[in-house]
Amino acid sequence: MELFSDQFNGYLWQMVQGAYITLQLFAAGFTLALVLGTLIGIVTLSRNWLIQAVWKTYASIIMGVPSLLIIFLLYYGGSAMLSGLFGTDRSFDVTPFGAGVTALTIVYAAYVAELVHGAVMNLPKGQFEACSALAIGPVAAWRHVILPQLTRLALPGLVNIWMIVLKDTPLVSLAGLNDLVANAKIAAGATKEPFIFFIAASLFFIVFSALTLRLSARLEARFGRGLAEVKA
Amino acid sequence: MSALPIDFALAWDSLPQMAEGLVTTLLITVLVLVLGLPLSVLVTLARMSRSRILSWPAAAFVVFFRGAPLLILLYLVYYGFGQIEALRDGPLWVIFGSAFACAVIGLTLNHVAYMVEVVRGSLNAVPAGLVEASAALGLTPRETFTYIRLPLAMRYGLAAYQNEVVMFTKGTAVVSVITVIDLTAVANELFEETYDPFTPMLTAAAFYWCLVNAIRLGFGALENHLNRHQRREQAVKPTTPAGAAAAAAEPPAGAPVAPLRRMIGSDRRPVPVKAAAPALSTATPKEHAL
Amino acid sequence: MSALQTETGPQPVAAPRPIAVEMTGVEKYYGKFKALSGIDLTVRKGEKIVICGPSGSGKSTLIRTINRLEPHDGGTIVVNGITLDGSPTSVQDVRLECGMVFQQFNLFPHLTILENCMLAPRLTRKLSKTQAEALALKYLERVHIGAQTHKYPSQLSGGQQQRVAIARALCMEPPIMLFDEPTSALDPEMIKEVLQVMEDLAEDGMTMICVTHEMGFARRVANRCVFMDQGEIVEEARAEEFFEAPKSDRLKAFLAQILH
Repeated sequence: MELFSDQFNGYLWQMVQGAYITLQLFAAGFTLALVLGTLIGIVTLSRNWLIQAVWKTYASIIMGVPSLLIIFLLYYGGSAMLSGLFGTDRSFDVTPFGAGVTALTIVYAAYVAELVHGAVMNLPKGQFEACSALAIGPVAAWRHVILPQLTRLALPGLVNIWMIVLKDTPLVSLAGLNDLVANAKIAAGATKEPFIFFIAASLFFIVFSALTLRLSARLEARFGRGLAEVKA
Repeated sequence: MSALPIDFALAWDSLPQMAEGLVTTLLITVLVLVLGLPLSVLVTLARMSRSRILSWPAAAFVVFFRGAPLLILLYLVYYGFGQIEALRDGPLWVIFGSAFACAVIGLTLNHVAYMVEVVRGSLNAVPAGLVEASAALGLTPRETFTYIRLPLAMRYGLAAYQNEVVMFTKGTAVVSVITVIDLTAVANELFEETYDPFTPMLTAAAFYWCLVNAIRLGFGALENHLNRHQRREQAVKPTTPAGAAAAAAEPPAGAPVAPLRRMIGSDRRPVPVKAAAPALSTATPKEHAL
Repeated sequence: MSALQTETGPQPVAAPRPIAVEMTGVEKYYGKFKALSGIDLTVRKGEKIVICGPSGSGKSTLIRTINRLEPHDGGTIVVNGITLDGSPTSVQDVRLECGMVFQQFNLFPHLTILENCMLAPRLTRKLSKTQAEALALKYLERVHIGAQTHKYPSQLSGGQQQRVAIARALCMEPPIMLFDEPTSALDPEMIKEVLQVMEDLAEDGMTMICVTHEMGFARRVANRCVFMDQGEIVEEARAEEFFEAPKSDRLKAFLAQILH
């Protein structure tokens, strides 16, 4: 097949549209996981045994089971679950995209929560004690002292999770989502040019990660400002 | 409809099939681990080499096979190499014609690329002060690597290695897309036969959960073995980073210090003479309970 | 380079002893930052030198150039007749002449106390296992750690760890010992046990160069004290003069700060 023939360009255009869907899935999944995970991370700082038991079970299951299985479970079983929750009189359509976003959120919220946990544990106890000693209330302490430091401590881990979520998005194509990888596979099969299309798809992921890594390095430098001064 | 969405009879009947799938999953995991470890050390050495002829290809290898999603790598190996005419007729077709072998190749490439960062990271995690101390004692760089850096890196890297092994074991679930009948493939087949959306997936999930936790237990035992006499390290640590920070205040930074610790530690003033405890016998120093 | 620098410090002994370390015009840069400028320092065999100065004054850098943990950028350093020219053999030879004790102890965490002390003698002095063990035990006894040789560093207190680090350096039986702020990372109650070991060593006639803020130790042990600031040797004098009659303003200010 000729490069840049009409047929080739058609497949290329399909891949671009697929890439758009991949990015949407990624953005939705990561954002929701970040918000939910941070909330879970803060709530589970509580020593309440029930909260701890629920958290430990949730984390253990998520971290012990492939995300692909969770995507399948939500896609195949999603409508049954929704019916179970909201009554059987209505029927629910579960799209691959919906199932994918939900699965990525549920899975990576656990990882984000664990990261937040670790960051809080790594904060020197003195930070909390100093806030108490200065009579700063708990809300103000979190807002002005703890969270800004957490962001910096958790940033490298968040970048890591970002990369993993990005590379997990193609799994949703196995539930029928027409994303970048699904379209690459169709193009590769139809044109018998697997190397071109699969390598192009890989490069999309590689370039996207490289760009975000650069951004995160800048962010880290920004968050590290106060520290650089102390070092000198 | 029962309260629980799980059909226990179906789960029980599917156990033999599931077990077969598990064996395939295990086989792939073990093969990739065994192939991956020596390969990752080789690629890491190439990556850290001063010669650009070695380090650049190794770096490119890592960027590509780490950056590309596993699913694409599997497609690339399975469909890509299947298209090459020369390969179809050659003796290597035994390998590239088999979906199982393609799965092992794709996973190994991905695993090795991740492991290069693990191995490199743990070698770099060895505190600079220890390498310096070794040099100050007159050990050659090679001796320092063999007796100090490598054994310590193995201990530091264990947690990251465990993480990678767990991640990639879970990652093997995608091999079903290139027709390998692993645990996930078995669950999918059963779903298509029974249209029960929960039972097969949850049964497979239980198998994966047990496998992953067995791996965790194994690593835990290994770690205990390697650190058998160092359980008190945690208790002593607090003095070290603070002190290391004081060293970092002088231009040549000492051991790597967590950024926050550095901020706190730099307040430490040299201790005045007067502060020395008045009546401390040096002959019989205070014993620390274990 | 400055007029303040005493070129002929009062000699502690009448007959000049052979020279152990001779630094002439030593310079060291970190990028554009001049960490050492025109350092001239002569240490004779058996002398005990204490180097002090504010943080960032280059005192650690100075002591680290002597065994080439930091390569110097200008001037010459001669240690026991070996010129440090950067060749691998000279570096190796100089490191066998100098034992070094670090602020952070830097014991090898994966080796027992005994193994920490045996490693270098076995590798560089090619001693047999029994010989190395006997040697290690001898020096561990000397720093009063004889009973805990099979523990790991993390199981000891900071003071004990630092004494092991001293024993580990002594096991190479070096003629010169370098101490880089050996007590700065220790809790106050542990400083004395380490200083006591160092004083014992001094009494045995070891050549010692010591970066420290322990002024009591300096008064009791040092033949000469060297004050550094901003990468230069500002003042160099016998211990009594150094403390009782400091000449330069910078040293006066420093002493006022450190002695309250």
